[in-house]
Amino acid sequence: MNNLSSKHRKLAYVIAIIILLIPVIWLGMPSTGEEGSGGQLAQLRVKHELGESTLGDVDPSSASMNFVLLGLRGIATNLLWIDANEYQKKKDWAKLRSTVDSIILLQPHYMKVWDFQGWNLAYNVSAEWDAVEDRYFWVKEGIKFLNEGVTRNERYPELDWKVGNLHGQKVGRSDEWRQFRRFYKVDPDTERYEGGPDPEINPDRLDNYQVAKEHFLIANDKELKHKQHLQMRMLFRGSPWHAQFDYANAMQREGTFGKQRTDAWKRGFDEWTEIYGREEFITPKGPIVLEWTDADIKALAARDESITEEDVRHWTNRYQDTSNYRFWRTRALSESEETTIKAHKDIYDGEQLFRSGKFDEAKAKLEEGMALYATVLNKYPSLLSEDLAIEEGLQAVILWRYIHDLKGLQVPASFPLKPLWNKEQGRVPELENDLRRRYGIQ
Amino acid sequence: MSFDPIPYDTFSAFIHFLSVFGSAMLLALIVCLIVGVITRGTKGITDVFMAIGDFFVQIFHLSCRRIWSLSVLTIRESLRQKILFVFIIFAVLFMFAGWFLSGAADRPDLQIQSYIDFVLKAISWLVIPIMLLLACWSLPEDIRLRTIHTVVTKPTYRIEIVMGRMLGFTLLGSVILLVMGTVGYIWINRQVPESAQYQLVSKVPVYGKIAFTDREGAPTTAGINVGDVWMYRSYIEGATKARAIYTFEGIDPGDAIDDKLVLQSSFEAFRTHKGNMEKGGILYQFIFVNEDKNLRVPTRPLVNKEYSENVLEVNRKIKDDDAEGGEGVELDIFDDLVDKDGNLTVEVQCLEAGQLLGMARPDLFVRTPDRAFVVGYSKAVLGIWMPMVLVIMLGVTISCFVKGPVAILTTLTVVMVGFMSKEYMNEILSGKMEAAGAIEAWYRLITHMNSQTELPAGPVKVIIETVDAGIINFLWLCQQVIPNFGIFSNMREYVIKGFDVSWSAALLPGIATTAAYILPCLIVSFYSLKLRELEAK
Repeated sequence: MNNLSSKHRKLAYVIAIIILLIPVIWLGMPSTGEEGSGGQLAQLRVKHELGESTLGDVDPSSASMNFVLLGLRGIATNLLWIDANEYQKKKDWAKLRSTVDSIILLQPHYMKVWDFQGWNLAYNVSAEWDAVEDRYFWVKEGIKFLNEGVTRNERYPELDWKVGNLHGQKVGRSDEWRQFRRFYKVDPDTERYEGGPDPEINPDRLDNYQVAKEHFLIANDKELKHKQHLQMRMLFRGSPWHAQFDYANAMQREGTFGKQRTDAWKRGFDEWTEIYGREEFITPKGPIVLEWTDADIKALAARDESITEEDVRHWTNRYQDTSNYRFWRTRALSESEETTIKAHKDIYDGEQLFRSGKFDEAKAKLEEGMALYATVLNKYPSLLSEDLAIEEGLQAVILWRYIHDLKGLQVPASFPLKPLWNKEQGRVPELENDLRRRYGIQ
Repeated sequence: MSFDPIPYDTFSAFIHFLSVFGSAMLLALIVCLIVGVITRGTKGITDVFMAIGDFFVQIFHLSCRRIWSLSVLTIRESLRQKILFVFIIFAVLFMFAGWFLSGAADRPDLQIQSYIDFVLKAISWLVIPIMLLLACWSLPEDIRLRTIHTVVTKPTYRIEIVMGRMLGFTLLGSVILLVMGTVGYIWINRQVPESAQYQLVSKVPVYGKIAFTDREGAPTTAGINVGDVWMYRSYIEGATKARAIYTFEGIDPGDAIDDKLVLQSSFEAFRTHKGNMEKGGILYQFIFVNEDKNLRVPTRPLVNKEYSENVLEVNRKIKDDDAEGGEGVELDIFDDLVDKDGNLTVEVQCLEAGQLLGMARPDLFVRTPDRAFVVGYSKAVLGIWMPMVLVIMLGVTISCFVKGPVAILTTLTVVMVGFMSKEYMNEILSGKMEAAGAIEAWYRLITHMNSQTELPAGPVKVIIETVDAGIINFLWLCQQVIPNFGIFSNMREYVIKGFDVSWSAALLPGIATTAAYILPCLIVSFYSLKLRELEAK
C-alpha cells in the first residue's frame, strides 16, 4: 500500500495523534472553576453561562439519566408526559407525582415544565381532593416542586415569581383562603410539624404574603441580570409591593385592625412610593419614574434632545394608569388614617354581628361604617377606580338593606354611600349572590 | 386510583383456546398435506401423518434424565456467558433508587406505592429482557458454532433439546428472580418507616355487585354523570332517594375480623356548593338491607375522606334503633342481615343536599382478615415469573427457525405488542375506533379529512375498504396469537394498592395464559428443529 515500514507507520500515527491533540486540548480542556481556566469552549461556557452548573444546582441523577438516554430524552419526556396525563385522569396521585419527578430528571432546565407541573399540582390536583387539609397538602407539593425548580434554575426570575404567586395568591385568594392561611402557620399535620408550619414552606413562621414578597424580591433581583418573559417589566417589578398590600389587606379581611395592620399599610406606602415609585422604567420615549416631581420630569427629558417634557409626562401618566399606581398610593395612604381604619372596622364588626344574629347592633354598626366610608371616598375619590374598594362599600349597603328587609323596615330614601350604590348598580346582583352564599341566606 | 377485578371465565377461555388452537392445527395440517401431495405425490400424505406421529412418539418417550442433563447444560452455558452480571445492575439500581424515589409525594401511603412499584418494575425490566436475549441467542449460536452436534448426535429427541433449553432457562431465571425478589422485599421493608409499616399488608376484599336508584328511588342502570373525563364512577345525589346498592355474595362469619364486619370504601365527592369545609368530607351512610326479614338497619353518618381508606368496623351484634329513636332489638349481622341466599345487601346514601358521591363496583368491599404483605408480594413476583417463562418459551421456539438476531427482534416485537398494544388492538377490532383502517388513516391524513366525514363513494373507497379488511383480519390473527402480557402487569397493581393478588381475576388468567402457550410452542419448536438444516450456519 505504501513504502513505510510498520514502525514508521506507528510513529506517524503517534505524531498525528499529538498534532490533533493540541487543538483538542486548546478547545476542550475542562475548567478548574477559576476564571479564565480551561480551554476555549470552557471559557465560552463560563462567559455565556451555558454550563450545567451555571444554570443552577446539578442533580447527579438527572445528569446521569440524560447521559444514559443520549439524544432520546425528548421522546422519553413525551412518553412520561402522556403517562402523567393518564395518571391524573385516573386520579392515581402517587404515580402522577413520581412521573412528574421523572420528567424533571429529564428536563431539569426547561422552565415551562416546572411552571406547568408546579401549577398543575397546586391548582388542578389540589382541587380534585375534597378535604381542605388534602388540598393544602397539594398546594404545598406544588410550591415544593417549584422551589426545587428554582434551585436547579437560577436564571429564571419567572420561577421565583411563580413561587411567590403560589404563596400569595393560591394560599391567600383561594375559596379556602381562611383555612389555607391558618394551615400556613399551623400545618394540619400537627403530629409531624408539632403544631407549627411545614418548615419547607414557611421556615420563619411568617404570613403567606410576607413569604410571597420575599420570593418576589428575589425574582426582582434576578430580573436585573436575566430578562423575564412573563409580563410587562413594570408590572413584574411591582409584585413585592402588591404582596405587601395584600398582607395588610388580609389582616383587615380577618378582622385584625391593630397597629400591625396599620404599620403594614404604612410600610406598603413607603415602599410603593420610595422604592417602586422611584425606579426608572424605559418607555418608547425614554425613562420615566412613577413617583415624580417637576425636577424629575425636567431631568429625564434633558437626557435626550428628541424627548420633550410633555412626552415624559404623557408616558408617566400611561404607565401610572397601567400599574394602577395612583390608586395604590392613595389607598395605602388612606389606610393609615384613623377614619379609614374605623370605617373598615365598623363594617367588619357589622358583618360579624349580623352573623351572630344581632341585627339591630349590626345595622347600627354598618350605618356608622358606611358614613365613615363615604367620608373616605369623598376625600380620596380615586379609590373608586378599584373593584375591592367599591365592593366593600356595596357589600355594606347590601347587608344593611337586607337587615331592613328582615326587620320589615322601610329603607331610608337617603343613606351614606347612596351615590356609590346608584352608580354601581350593575355589580349589585353578583354581590348579592355572593353574600347569600357567604351567609347561607336562602 | 381504583381497578376493577373481574373474575376470569375459565370455561369460555378454554373453549376459545381450543377453537384457535384447533383451527390453527387444522390449517397447518391442510397446508402440509397440500405441500406433501405437490412435492411427493400420495407418499406425501403418509409422510405428513408419520411426522405427526413422530411428535407423539417423542412426547411419550421423553426421558426426564436427558431433559435434566440438557437443562443443566443450558444453565452452565448461561453462567459462562456472565448472566449473573445482572446482579451488578440490580445492586446499582437499588443503591441509587433513593435518588429517584425520594422526591415522590411526602405521604407514607403514596411513598409505599412508589417503592413497591419501583421494586417490581425494576425486577421485571431486568429479568425479562435478559432471559429473552438468552433464550433467543442460545440455540442459533449452538447451531452456528456447531456445538449442537455434540447433543444431536447423542440419543436425544429434538423435543427434549427444546424442553431442556426451556427448563434450563426457566430454572436459572427462577433463581435470579427469587434472589431479586427477596432483596426487593427486604429493601421495601427497610424503606418504609416504622410508623407506616402497618400499611404493608395484603388486604383480602370481597367485592359485590352494584346497582343504582335515582333521586325518586326508581332502579336505574347508572348514577349521575358529573362530567368527569374518566367515566369510571357514577354519582348519587345527596339527601334524595338516590342510592348505590351493593350486593355481596357468600358472606359468612368467617369473613369477620375480630367478630366485626369490616367495610372499606373509597368514594369520590362532587360538590355543587362549598358546604361545610371544616368537616373533612361529605357525609354518607350505609344501610344494611334484608328484604327476607324486611329489615333496614342504617349505620351512623360517616365522613367520606377522599382517596383514603375509609374503614368502618361494624360489631357483629348491632342495635336496630326504631324511627322514634328508641332502642330496638339486637341483630346479628350474619344471622339476621345476610339473606337466605347468603347475600349481604348494603345501600349507600349521600346525606348532604346538593352534594354528590361517586362510586364504582370496587369502591366498596367487605374486608376479610388480611394476609401478610409477603403473600401478595410473592404472588406479584409470580406475576413476573410467568411472563418470564412465556418469553423463554417464545424465544426458544422462535430461535428454532430463525437466526439469533432475528429471533431477538421477533420475540421482542411479540413481547412489546403483548405488553403495550393489546388494548389498542382490541379498540380497533371492536370497532370502537373511528377510521381505524391503516390505508383509510393514511388517506385521511394526506387529504386532511377528519374521521367523522364519510369517505367519498367510488372505486377509491372500495379499494381502501377491501385492503383494510384484509389488514384488520391479519390484525385479528395477531391479536389471537400474541399473548396478552398486560394480564401479568395487573398483578403488580394489586400489591401496589395494598391488596392480595386475586386468584380469579389475576392469578388464574396469568396461569392459563402461560399454560396455553406450552403445547403450541412445543409443537412449533419441535417441527422447526426437525426440519432445520443444522449444518447451516
